[in-house]
Amino acid sequence: MAEEEESSLLVVIVDVNPIWWGKMRIQDENDLKFTQCMESILVYVNSHLMMHRSNKVAIIASHTNSSCFLYPTATPTTEEEEDFLRDGKYEHFAKIDDTIFKEVKKLMTAHTAELHIDTLLTGSLAMALCYIHRLEKECIAGEKLKPRILVIKASDDSASQYMDFMNIIFTAQKQNILIDACVLDKDSGLLQQACDITGGIYLKIPQRTGLLQYLLVSSENIFCAFSPICSTCHTAFKIKGAPTLKKKKKKSAAVVSIM
Amino acid sequence: MATALSEDVLLVVSHVRHKKRDGSLYLMTERIGWMEGSRQMFSISHLYADIKMQKISTEGKAKVQLQLILHDGGANTFHFANAERTSALKDRNDVKELLQQLLPKFKTKANKELEEKNRMLQEDPELFQLYKDLVMSGVISADEFWANRTVNSTGSQNTQHQDVGVSAAFLADIKPQTDGCNGLRYNLTADIIESIFRTYPAVKKKHAENVPDNMSESEFWTRFFQSHYFHRDRINAGNKDLFTDCAKIDEKEMKKVVNERLDDPLLDLSGMSDSSFGEGYGVGAKDSKSSGNISNTNLIKRFNHHNTRVLGVSEKAGTSIQSSSIESQPSTSTGSSLPNKNNSHIANNQSNGRNISSVNSNTTQDETVPSKRMRIKEAIEYEDLVPETRPPAVMLNLDKAERYHHGPMPVSKMDYATTEEMINATQVIREDMAQAKPTLFQTIHGSVASSVVSELSPGGSLMHGLGQQPLHQLYSQDIQVEMKNMYSALCELLRHFWSCFPVSSKFLEEKVTRMKINLERFQTSKLQPFREKLAMQHFNVNLINHMEELLETAYGKFTSWQARRMGSIVR
Repeated sequence: MAEEEESSLLVVIVDVNPIWWGKMRIQDENDLKFTQCMESILVYVNSHLMMHRSNKVAIIASHTNSSCFLYPTATPTTEEEEDFLRDGKYEHFAKIDDTIFKEVKKLMTAHTAELHIDTLLTGSLAMALCYIHRLEKECIAGEKLKPRILVIKASDDSASQYMDFMNIIFTAQKQNILIDACVLDKDSGLLQQACDITGGIYLKIPQRTGLLQYLLVSSENIFCAFSPICSTCHTAFKIKGAPTLKKKKKKSAAVVSIM
Repeated sequence: MATALSEDVLLVVSHVRHKKRDGSLYLMTERIGWMEGSRQMFSISHLYADIKMQKISTEGKAKVQLQLILHDGGANTFHFANAERTSALKDRNDVKELLQQLLPKFKTKANKELEEKNRMLQEDPELFQLYKDLVMSGVISADEFWANRTVNSTGSQNTQHQDVGVSAAFLADIKPQTDGCNGLRYNLTADIIESIFRTYPAVKKKHAENVPDNMSESEFWTRFFQSHYFHRDRINAGNKDLFTDCAKIDEKEMKKVVNERLDDPLLDLSGMSDSSFGEGYGVGAKDSKSSGNISNTNLIKRFNHHNTRVLGVSEKAGTSIQSSSIESQPSTSTGSSLPNKNNSHIANNQSNGRNISSVNSNTTQDETVPSKRMRIKEAIEYEDLVPETRPPAVMLNLDKAERYHHGPMPVSKMDYATTEEMINATQVIREDMAQAKPTLFQTIHGSVASSVVSELSPGGSLMHGLGQQPLHQLYSQDIQVEMKNMYSALCELLRHFWSCFPVSSKFLEEKVTRMKINLERFQTSKLQPFREKLAMQHFNVNLINHMEELLETAYGKFTSWQARRMGSIVR
């Protein structure tokens, strides 16, 4: 490709607060389970990668005790990967899916001595920023990274993290990194600010089980060329409550290449 | 005399013709009137405030006339038709002199008001629109409209009146016109006269002494110009001349100034000389030759004096503005007591006026002590070396420091109250995860997905705000402008209305009743048609609901006020 290579980096931060998810699970059998949430994210991540060959993803789990990368992992995956070729999945996707699921399993089943209530979202955001920064520095000449952070938030805001959180947001703003938020439970004042300041989308979803669909519909608008008419349903968009489109005119290269 | 007006008559001049009819001219305190001989009524009557200027015929003309030019462009010419020419001239001059004294008093007032109003309308398009809406359409009268405005503006208008400085060449700028027969004709305006007074205080003193007791205004100036040219070389010969001692006073003053000049510690005028270093390469003998020609010296001396005076005026003005504006008042009024044009004939054959142009010499002015101190300070202090004095920063007083550091605290306590619940929850998740296998193709149920899509489609729950178009797109530009004008007009009326409360005087009572009527008139003549227009274009009529509410509130207030008043009267 003669033109400048532009790749989208999507960093997904998942709130894996076990207390919140566990409580949900106990309360309502039919509601979104944590595993379903993870599956939705996997599908979403796959679809993002499918958009363009140079698209990149990273997943960070935001636990109550720590934040850690689910993908890419710090330790290179060991050679026990034969099984993912079984169902004939695209190798690259299968590898990512497998890694993520394995990591999250490891994280969630680990026994922890103490339990905290608050999700360490701020720490995860900081990690995401650092990661993005690193990748931007590693970019070879002519390559351009378009970073974006998606926060999937479940538990309540943590007031004690307020100052750090705001610092992170302003850093993101300065670095031109957009923060999107998808909120599963109560509205989060902090994330609303984050999205507003960085120019991202804030969405509190009404049906939790439809998480994947929300992600996909929104992302269609985020990562594709701006068009006032929806490519799926041919509606003329003038979005107010939901995604604000004008700010993110993504290059159409992504769409063109998969068609 | 049966005049309709019971004003003091200051001057009556008979044998004055207007349009070839005989009559008498009356000058009263506030107006000028002309009555035809046989009648008992003024056929012409002008307020002084309406008169822009007066013009008189030249001396040589057969008819002795005086013309009044009005602000609205109209003019009236009066012919002084006394049988004897000298008495006709005298009559005319009497009228002229009196008018000269009277007109300025009214002129400034009337002009200023008119100009001010004009300016306000021009500068403020909204006000202009308001004026059009309210006054031109007859909702309220112009006086009512300005009643509040001018009160407002006079406050702001009280800013300092700035004196115009004196041009260095003001004498040379008075271009005398030759009148053909070896004479010169000077047109003096009030400004020029003021300049002369300010530059030559001695002349001003003379003027005060002699006019109008010993001689007339024009005679004085004729003499001034004659003498001015006469003694420009300062040969103090003609002792009879009125201005002889002026020269002496000037001389005295020059000496005084020269002595004062030496006090300036920062400027050594005497140390300057005309010698250039180029000639003797800086080592040549000091050239101490004084200019021999006494007339040259005199000329230079006079230039310097002139400059001193011209500069001195501006310096005085600068200080007087700070000290008090009263001080500059008398000089202004003396200057403007000569209103329009003062024609003086000079039968002098001095023709080409010498160019008394300014020589920008380095004369400095007498220093008052504080300004001297300031200059010394200026010379010895460097701004960037002065220690910075910053206003003390505002202290941030934290009532609750932890709130500042942590931001908002959670409103509700955490739902996860007990440890047991927490442990249970974690346990469940752990078990779930242990046996989880990703089945990505079953992640979402079709029906859920389609319902989400419908939510994100127009009309869906997440797309609210779409169905309603923003107002500014819905209505055309014209409607918006009209709406805006409507609002500003209504607000103006309401402002008048509400300013009447509390109704404490008879005047306010009348005004509030009148304003109520005005409001009603506005509603029927403006608001109603607008509403119909909107309805005709199928717009939502509730656009004017708010205006109607405003009106209703005002009516309500009026009715309750009226009821209370009735009650109090009955009691």
